[in-house]
Amino acid sequence: MIEQPTLGELWASRDLFRDPILAATAAGTILGWLGVYVVLRRMVFVAAAVSQAAALGVALAFYAQIHLATDVSPVLGAVSLTFLVSLLFMLDPLRLRITRESILGLAFVFAGGSAVAIGDRISQEAHEIGSILFGTAVLVRTFDLWLILILASLLLIGHIWTTRGMLLSSFDPDAARVQGLPIRLLDAFLFLSVGAMVAVATRALGALPVFAFTVLPAMAALAIGGRLWFVLILSACLGALSGGLGYVLAFMRDLPVGASQTIVAACWVGAALLVRLLIPRVGGLLGR
Amino acid sequence: MNTAGHKSLSTRELVVGYDGNGILPPIDLTIERGSIWVVLGRNGAGKTSWMRTVLGLLPAVSGQVTKAPGTRLAYVPQRQVLDPIVPVRAADVVAMGAEHGLSFLKPFGKVLREKVTSALAEMGIDDLSNKPFRDLSEGQKQKVLLARCIAGGPDIVFLDEPMATMDIVAEREVLGLIQDLRQRRGTTVVIVAHHLQVAANLADGVLFVDKDAQTVCAGTPREVFEHSSFRHRYGDLAMGLFKDMQQ
Repeated sequence: MIEQPTLGELWASRDLFRDPILAATAAGTILGWLGVYVVLRRMVFVAAAVSQAAALGVALAFYAQIHLATDVSPVLGAVSLTFLVSLLFMLDPLRLRITRESILGLAFVFAGGSAVAIGDRISQEAHEIGSILFGTAVLVRTFDLWLILILASLLLIGHIWTTRGMLLSSFDPDAARVQGLPIRLLDAFLFLSVGAMVAVATRALGALPVFAFTVLPAMAALAIGGRLWFVLILSACLGALSGGLGYVLAFMRDLPVGASQTIVAACWVGAALLVRLLIPRVGGLLGR
Repeated sequence: MNTAGHKSLSTRELVVGYDGNGILPPIDLTIERGSIWVVLGRNGAGKTSWMRTVLGLLPAVSGQVTKAPGTRLAYVPQRQVLDPIVPVRAADVVAMGAEHGLSFLKPFGKVLREKVTSALAEMGIDDLSNKPFRDLSEGQKQKVLLARCIAGGPDIVFLDEPMATMDIVAEREVLGLIQDLRQRRGTTVVIVAHHLQVAANLADGVLFVDKDAQTVCAGTPREVFEHSSFRHRYGDLAMGLFKDMQQ
């Protein structure tokens, strides 16, 4: 019988695992916070579209290196394409007579298809693309950790500061516009925040857990209910716990890290729905 | 409050429409400060398009909208467009009315909190303060949205079908509150409505729009109700209401 690792062993190896746990916890926190707006605005596939855009950016960078002899950093390529796609999300879908969901779909399939097509021309770098894009979450480079910590901190401060504006623009965007709030600027800040954080976190942790952090903690927090502040903080906490506990669970049960973090995040949704069904007024009690 | 003669808002040769195509003839209109205007027309007649254009939510095809510098506007959309998933209490919704420009970047201080409390009290809904907005009845929601307007201290309030899906009691209460808003605060009110009775009983001015017939007319309720284009659409229905009012 194979012995499962213990918490003591995890603690003993803390120098090795500290960075990925910290990275996942920080990314889970800010993605949990941003995820509330993503879910409220019906844009849950934004993370999927952004990670495909990052893939295209990396593929383009390698293509430029191999075929055009131009030194472009793959990370720069990923971030640039992510920002371009984030700008696409800022278009007013009503003026284009389409839905925002379909813009997400367009970004997803175009970026995904182009990444595969360009990837076909640079097959010798395919493994590296996979590593740069989707990470492994087992080990995180120091540079990626610091990038996540700094970006997450800046975005958290920015979003705490703009919460009231975000609330009004999410609840009643027309009234917000009439009252002179800079709606386009707020939208840009939100989309660029999601784009930047998803791109950076995907690189370090992998696409699946990043998608999970962006959607599942927010779903759980919104199911519990209460005031927006309570929902945002709860979602950020659940995102952080998904990242940290997911890593511990992966270590203890010898599971793939990204999958383990995703399962933990999904468990919050299950628990929240159960609480909501058993205690319908829970949001009113907790959120005051 | 004597506010007669003070222009609150005017439109000159204003053409509303989409993608550069007008849907109504040009509209010239002057709304006096402290007056109540009702925009009438059948479904799809262009009422909401006109209101959204005046508010700057929809670009005008041509023409001008003029308002005094510093005029504060408030807008209450149709209630069904407000997202029920957003987790807000009644007091949160009222507090939104106090936001202007970049005010959300500053702390929500004591003065703003007092504005919210007094707006809730003025609408008689203090007891709803902590209730989730989505759980309120249609009448209660409308009162909360009117309180949101009050919290912002606007000069002109635009209400898009405020009485839709309300029972008769709630409808009367809301109409009373709208009249109070004008009388106590001198606020100009512009209402998009289907109710001819509301126009007959409440309005100082009526704007009638009809996209299909390509007609618009504006004036006092009596003038509009007697207008041939209005009578073509509504027959004598409105005049009956008007006579009732006179009795």
